[in-house]
Amino acid sequence: MSAGERPEVRPYGGAARPERRAAGPAGVSADSPVGRLAATVERLSREVRAAQAEAEGRALIELAKGILVERLGCGPSQAARQLAELTEQAGTSPLEFAVEVINQAARDRMSEVTDAFLAATAAAEEAGPEPAAVRLRAAESGALAANDTQAVAESLLEQALRPLGAVAVAIWAAAADGSLTLAGSAGFSPAEAARWYYVPPDVATVARCGLEERDGLWLRSPADKGLPSVGRHHYPEGGRAALPAGTGGRLYGVLEIVWPEPLPAQPPQIVRQVEALAELCAHTLETYTAPGGPDQRPAVLPDAAELMDLADGLYDPALVLVPHLDAAGNLVDFRIQHVNSRFLDPAGRPRGMVSGALLLEAYPMAAGDSELFQRIERVYATGEPFRARRMNLTALVDQVPLAAVADISVSRHGAGILFIWRIEDETARLASLLQHAQRLGRIGGFEENLLTGEITWNGQLYDLYGRPHASLPVPLEELPAHAHPDDAVTIGRFLRTLLHHRRPASAAFRLQRPDGVTRHIRVVAEPVLDTDGRLLTIRGAYQDISAQHWTEVALAATRDQLAHTEQQASERDRLALQLQRAIMPPAQAPLQVPDLDVAVRYRPAEAEQLVGGDWYDAVVLPSGLVLLCVGDVAGHGIEAATSMVVLRNALRGLAVTGAGPGQLLSWLNIVAHHLTGGVTATAVCGLYDPASRTLRWARAGHLPPVLVRGAEAAPLPLVRGLLLGAVPEASYEEDEVRLAAEDNLLMYTDGLVERRDRSVEESLTHLLTAAATAPGTLDQRLDRLLTYSRSDTDDDTCIVGIRVG
Amino acid sequence: MPIAQDPLSVEVSLPREDVALLTVAGYLDVDTATEFQHHLANQLHHGRRHFLLDLSAVPFMDSSGMNIILRVYQEARELPGSVHIISPAPAVRRILDLTGVSITVPVSESVDEALERVDGTPPAPEEPQD
Repeated sequence: MSAGERPEVRPYGGAARPERRAAGPAGVSADSPVGRLAATVERLSREVRAAQAEAEGRALIELAKGILVERLGCGPSQAARQLAELTEQAGTSPLEFAVEVINQAARDRMSEVTDAFLAATAAAEEAGPEPAAVRLRAAESGALAANDTQAVAESLLEQALRPLGAVAVAIWAAAADGSLTLAGSAGFSPAEAARWYYVPPDVATVARCGLEERDGLWLRSPADKGLPSVGRHHYPEGGRAALPAGTGGRLYGVLEIVWPEPLPAQPPQIVRQVEALAELCAHTLETYTAPGGPDQRPAVLPDAAELMDLADGLYDPALVLVPHLDAAGNLVDFRIQHVNSRFLDPAGRPRGMVSGALLLEAYPMAAGDSELFQRIERVYATGEPFRARRMNLTALVDQVPLAAVADISVSRHGAGILFIWRIEDETARLASLLQHAQRLGRIGGFEENLLTGEITWNGQLYDLYGRPHASLPVPLEELPAHAHPDDAVTIGRFLRTLLHHRRPASAAFRLQRPDGVTRHIRVVAEPVLDTDGRLLTIRGAYQDISAQHWTEVALAATRDQLAHTEQQASERDRLALQLQRAIMPPAQAPLQVPDLDVAVRYRPAEAEQLVGGDWYDAVVLPSGLVLLCVGDVAGHGIEAATSMVVLRNALRGLAVTGAGPGQLLSWLNIVAHHLTGGVTATAVCGLYDPASRTLRWARAGHLPPVLVRGAEAAPLPLVRGLLLGAVPEASYEEDEVRLAAEDNLLMYTDGLVERRDRSVEESLTHLLTAAATAPGTLDQRLDRLLTYSRSDTDDDTCIVGIRVG
Repeated sequence: MPIAQDPLSVEVSLPREDVALLTVAGYLDVDTATEFQHHLANQLHHGRRHFLLDLSAVPFMDSSGMNIILRVYQEARELPGSVHIISPAPAVRRILDLTGVSITVPVSESVDEALERVDGTPPAPEEPQD
C-alpha cells in the first residue's frame, strides 16, 4: 500500500478542540430552496423538542419557587433569589435543586421512591446527564400538566420509561364489567393503538392479567405465557410489565410497559419506580371517562382501516395517508396513517418513526421540485388517480439529499390516500448507470446475443477498435485474433470464465487495431442467464486503459525494487514460466505440410508456482514425417519444467533417427529414468505420414489421442505403455490409424480433463462431446476445448490437433 | 502432523513377518501422498519386503499417489521384494491402466490373492484387463 492510500492520521490529545464540520444546511444544497426549507423544518422541530424539555424543567423550578414563597413567606422574586443562592450552595443544577425542594415539601410516596432510587443508583447515575429524581419529577409534572391520559402516556414514555430502556407504554382504563379501554398510549403505531382500542371482558391479555396481580405482572417475554397484547408483533420477544394503577384503594386501570428485548428480573428500586408511575397513572385515570356511544368518532376512519389492509397485501412499498386539517378546517398536510411491511424508508428510519408522522415532516422534500405533495393534494381534491413512471424522489439523509427514481401511484379511496411506489429495478438502474459511465469514461459497451448471434456495439467501441461505424462488430470469441499473441492465454481464461463458468470476468490485453496502433484495453463482461440457467447474452464494456497501464507498469517496477526478497522467492517460479514460454509459446506458427492443418495450444497454470511440466511438440522431420507429441512431467515448478525441456528435446533428437514411436518412447523412458530426482512423466507420441495419411503412435501412461470423424469422437485404443521413468527398461506397444479427409485428431494433457469429483471417463466423454460438436476451424475447435474444459485442478494444459485437408 | 483437508487414513497390519498390508482410505493426491510415503518408508525401514496396498477405499488418486507406488515398487524390486495393489476402485483402476502401472505392479482382487502371488516368486506381471 502506498502512503497516499492511507487515511490521514490526525494528531489528537492535548488541547483538542471539537471539530467543527461544515454540515449546516448551507453546506448541502445552498442552491436548492427546497433543501433549505427541509433543513429549516428539521431545525424547527429540533427547537420545539428542546423548548418542550426546557418548559418541563421550568415548571419544576416554578413549583419549587412556589414552595419557597409559602415556606419563607416571601415574594416570588425573593424566592427566586433564594433558590439561586441555595442552588449555588448546594452545588447542584437549578433543576436538581428544585426537585430537591419539591421532594422535601411533598414527602409523598414519590419522594420516598426517588430517595430509595437515588440511594440505590447514586453511583450509576453520577455520570448520567439527568438524575433519576429529576426524571421522575419531570414525568410527574408532565403527567399533571397533561390534560388527558394520552399526553400522560407520552410524557411517561419520554421522561421516565425510555431511560429504563422501554420503547412503548399503554395506559388501560378498567371498566366495571372487566373490559379494558386503551386510554392512552405512546410508542405504538396509531394503527396498532386503534386496533387495541377496546379489550372486551374476560379476554386474557397481558394487561388483564396484570390487573389481577397485586404486584403486577412482569414478563421476561410475552411469549413465555402466550398472552396477546398490543404491539406484540412489533416486539415479539420484548419484555412486558403490567401494573395495576390504583390510588386510595381503588383500581382504575393498568400501566403496561414494553421493552424491545427480553427483560431480565429488575432490581427492587426499578420495580418501585414503576409502581410509583402506575400510581401516577391512577390519578389521571380517576378522572378518565371512557368515550363511548355510537357517535364516538373512532381513532381510525373505516376507509383508512380498509386501505391499511389493502396496503398490507401489496408487494410494493405503500403508505396510507389521511388528510390533516388545521383548526380552520383547511388541508395543511397528510398524516402517514400506515406503512406496509414492504415499506423501507429511503432515509433509513425505522418504520414506526414514519408511521404516524406528518408527510411533510417526514419527507420535507416532497414539497420540492418533484411536486409530489401537490400531486397528492390534487388526487385528494379531485379523486383522479395519479400515476407516473420514473419520477425522482428525494429524501434527506442526514441533510444529504438522496435521489431515487421510482414509479409511483397515488389514488384516493374514501377519505384516505393510497400511495404506492416502486423503486426502479436494479437492472434497469445499472443499465442507465452504465450508459452514463460509458459516456463519461469513454467506454465501449457491447451486448452479444448468443442465441441469435446478434451483436450490439455502441459508437465508442467502434472508435476503440479503430473500425468504421458501419463495419461488423467483432464477436467476443474472435477477440484473440485482434489481440497481441502473448495475450492469448489471458483472453482464453477470460472467455472460459465467462462462457463456461458463466461468471463475470475481466481481462487486460493489447488490442491490435487495423491501423497498426496498439492500445491497452480492459474488458469486463458478465453473462445474462435465462430462468433455466442457460446463457442468453453477454454484455460488457471495453475501456482504453493505455495511460493507466503505463502508470501501473511504472508502479510495478518500483514495487519490484522494494519487494526485493519477495522477488527472489518468486524468481524460480518466474524462471520456470519463462523457460516454458520460451520453449513453447502459447500458440505456434503453423507447420507447412500439404493437406494437413496443425494447431497447438498451451495454457499455463494460473498460479505461477504451479508452472508444470506439460509439453507439446509438432515438427516436420527430415524424413517428411510429422512428429506429434504431448507429454506431462509429474510435479510442478522449476524441476518439472527442466525435466520437460530435457524430455522434449531428447524426443526431437531421437525422432531424427527414423525410429518408430514405440522405440522412441522406450529410449525416452531411459532418459527419464536417468534424470535426477526420480522423475516420472507421461507422453503420447505419433508419427504422421502425409503420403499415406497414417498415424503410427504409442503412449507412455498417457491418455490416448482422440479421433474426431464427422460428428463422432472416440479415443484411440489404450495400447500398452508404462509411464516414463518408473523402471529402467520398458517397451511400448504401437498402433496405427489411417485418417480420412476432414478427420481431426487431438492429443492433450490431463489438465484438460482432470477433475476431483468425477472419473476421467466422465470428463473424457464431455471432452469428446465438445470435440465432436465444436464447429469451425481447427484453431477455433482448440480454443473451444480450452474454454469449455471441465477441469478444476488449475493444472497447465496442452493440446495438439491435426486436421487432414 | 498437520491435518490435511481430506484426511488420509492408513492402517498397517502384518499378515506375515516380511509382508506389510497397508489399508488406505481417502484421496491419494498431492496433499496426502507424503503421509502415505512416510508409512511406506517406515515399513521398508522395519525390513518388510512385500507391500500389499489395499486401495479399495481410495476414490481418487493423482500422479503424486502414483509416483509413491512406483517408488516403493523400485525399492522393493532391489531387495528383492514386491508390491501388490488390492481391489482398486474403478476410477483408480482406470488410472493404473492408463499410466501402464498395472502392467508392472500386479493388481489383485483380494488380500489372499495377493499373498498367493507373493508366494509365487518372482511375481508374474499381470496383463492389463482392458
